[in-house]
Amino acid sequence: MRSAYVQRQREEHGRKSIVVLPVHYPKEILTAMDVLAVELWGPPGAPRGPEAGRLQAYVCAVVRNALAFLAGGHADVVDAALFPHTCDSVQGLATLVTDFGGWSKPSFVFQHPKGPTRASVRKYLVAELRSLADGLATLTGRPLDVAELRAAIRLHRTIDEVKTRILEGRGRLATSDRELYATLRRGEWLWPEEHLEELRVLERQLPEAGAPARKGVPLFVTGYVPEPMSILDALDEVGAYVARDDWAAIGRRVVTPARALDLEGDPFETLAALYYEAPQCPTRSLDQAGRLQRLLALYDQSGARGVIVHEPKFCEPEAFDVPAIRKAFGERGVPLLYLETELETELAGQTTTRLEAFVEMVGARRVA
Amino acid sequence: MSSTRRRVEYEIVKRLVGPALMQVDHAQRRVKSLRKRAAKPAGPFGPPLESVRKLKELMTRHYLEGRYADGAVPVAWVTSGFPVEVLRPLGYHAVYPENHAALCGVQRVVPHLSEATEEVGYARDLCSYARTDIGSVMLQETPVGRLPKPDLLCCCTNICQTVLYWYRSLAAHFQVPLVLIDPPFVYGEAKPHHRQFVRDQLDELLVVAARVAKRRAPSMDEIVGVTKLAREGTRLWGECLAESRNKPAPWTGIDGFFHIAPIVTLRGTAECNAYYRQLRDELRHRVAQGIGGVREEKHRLLWDNLPIWFDVRGMSTLLAEHGFNFVCTSYTNAWAEAGSRIDPADPLGSAVFAYTDIILNQDLGKRFGTLARLAEEYSCDGAVLHSDRSCKPYSIGQLDLKQRLAKQLDIKVMVLEADHGDPRAYAVEQGHGRLTAFMESFS
Ligand code: SF4
Ligand code: SF4
Repeated sequence: MRSAYVQRQREEHGRKSIVVLPVHYPKEILTAMDVLAVELWGPPGAPRGPEAGRLQAYVCAVVRNALAFLAGGHADVVDAALFPHTCDSVQGLATLVTDFGGWSKPSFVFQHPKGPTRASVRKYLVAELRSLADGLATLTGRPLDVAELRAAIRLHRTIDEVKTRILEGRGRLATSDRELYATLRRGEWLWPEEHLEELRVLERQLPEAGAPARKGVPLFVTGYVPEPMSILDALDEVGAYVARDDWAAIGRRVVTPARALDLEGDPFETLAALYYEAPQCPTRSLDQAGRLQRLLALYDQSGARGVIVHEPKFCEPEAFDVPAIRKAFGERGVPLLYLETELETELAGQTTTRLEAFVEMVGARRVA
Repeated sequence: MSSTRRRVEYEIVKRLVGPALMQVDHAQRRVKSLRKRAAKPAGPFGPPLESVRKLKELMTRHYLEGRYADGAVPVAWVTSGFPVEVLRPLGYHAVYPENHAALCGVQRVVPHLSEATEEVGYARDLCSYARTDIGSVMLQETPVGRLPKPDLLCCCTNICQTVLYWYRSLAAHFQVPLVLIDPPFVYGEAKPHHRQFVRDQLDELLVVAARVAKRRAPSMDEIVGVTKLAREGTRLWGECLAESRNKPAPWTGIDGFFHIAPIVTLRGTAECNAYYRQLRDELRHRVAQGIGGVREEKHRLLWDNLPIWFDVRGMSTLLAEHGFNFVCTSYTNAWAEAGSRIDPADPLGSAVFAYTDIILNQDLGKRFGTLARLAEEYSCDGAVLHSDRSCKPYSIGQLDLKQRLAKQLDIKVMVLEADHGDPRAYAVEQGHGRLTAFMESFS
């Protein structure tokens, strides 16, 4: 937990903060209400305390570690917790820590719908967004101001635009994957304006379009979260880099709307529209075919030579799509490596060897 | 083949062949059971329930009709918590993949079917119901002969999110529409806009289901008719379960796992209700006669979570030999509770409550309340919480539930790690050893 940062935000800006479980939530509302979001993707490493043992070993480490973290008091610096309706495990965690102990500060849920854009879903989503804003008002002591929400939407649109340019230009950017993803992931807890500044610095390093591609074997990665981060070092060591990603934590949360958004109208409607413009994610969408189409298109645009499907263990939403992803890329003759990594431990030597063999094979194909 | 011909075949099977086959089957079983009865001692159980025969008839007929259903009538594949009352008036034949997977579990074919899914990349950690059914679709193999292809997939996330991913894969495979009813999980009390959302989705379902069935949307009278039947069916099921409050319980909780099949798959039909009337009467008769499901009932247990389908017989025998009976289970009870909220006077309005406020869609505080109430109402002196690798939503929180139940009710509680369908994830001997040690702790 970024305790010192959270503390400073409180002291210098009087900002409340909220710990947020993965994956999707309307950060714009938090920003508009001057609430700092601090995302909790586990955290990685061994569970911080014995409370992880309250969940069976077959529950994903993101949730087990989060339980240990919250119940061990490691997040006490924040003012509240937000549990999006991501999966059965996050849902279970939300009730476990609030009803049976582990989190006594206010907690909120954002029960995003799972279905396609039907009238009922759209109407519900808007109501749920409003309800979250009303709930947060009890934390901040003041209601949400729609003008501030509009401004926050614009700010986050700008952030996503810059991210898109960085990710699209990644093949020309000399920065290592470790540095790039560390910067992108700082958005999980930095105040958005500060995050934007850092992104702009990175963007300025982008060479002109048409500049030669960076060295190394370009790969496309789809998966959940780049943890352990040493996977990026391992790729670097074997001469590969992530040309484009669909990690749920990173690329899959960057929204580039296909149609123009109404940024002046009812901001809750704008947020709902954005929700449906967002990349397909199994944690909130029914459309597997749409997701596959997007993955294939991203792969083509990225110039990657192979695909890594990188998943944590026991993650149902992700795991159910793996066969379809294998099939879709397999039918196009694209080399694919399935990697299951553990959030709690560093990369196993065996994984590094598999990565090496894969990159060698992909590299050789390229030369041939 | 023309749809008219399919329809004629289907009607013949439904009206003539099915019942005739049942008669033959019935006669064969009677001969067999007479032979058996003469040869075999009764063991630790009370006399077998007469209704079992009728149950087998009903379910065999259901699956037999299914073989001829596609192309003849609209076919929907439906999750167990789906508001099927909306589909029945449109003439849908409803297939319950979960029930089918349970059947595969009992017949121990899950590893074979699952391996096919694992080969294409499904992880073995995924719910074994899903793996079983996807495997069955891939291999086109099933112990029931044949499952009809769906025209519509109907998924309700009030039991878990897993069904969403599972049906999403089925939709990609079959290329048919998937309707989703997505009742928000209830933390504390459901918010008004959550209830409204479920109601709106039900209204949309009516339109989609009618379009796929190529019929006009059902009238309110038709829905009321089915709803009345569903309400009555769940009431009767509840009455069957409640007979186990008597000492000794007239049947075992394990029996209940099998007899739940009609309320899941045939809810809202007259056959379902006729069956439960018969079962209830038989149970009442046994109570009056002092006949127990277990011969010498000494201890009464509560079971939480799905059964271990491939070991139900072995486990129940082990328990019965020691005088233990699972007199109630949160799983079978869920079907009685949810249905009790259905109100024929307001079928869709009440369906919102019935299909939202079910045990797996509610917070752990309510789950604890249900378990504690069941343990008290059924005079349990112990509980076994099945920590089911395959079912995370049901299993998360059980380690805390164990502590609370033991402390607040002063009963003995154990957590048993297993899997509801996949024998590869559960060492039977070890499990039985743990159960034996648990039972010994009562003496
Ligand atoms: S890793 Fe998967 S199962 Fe775990 S919290 Fe994330 S989405 Fe849920
Ligand atoms: S995860 Fe559990 S509730 Fe969901 S389908 Fe599997 S067994 Fe049923």
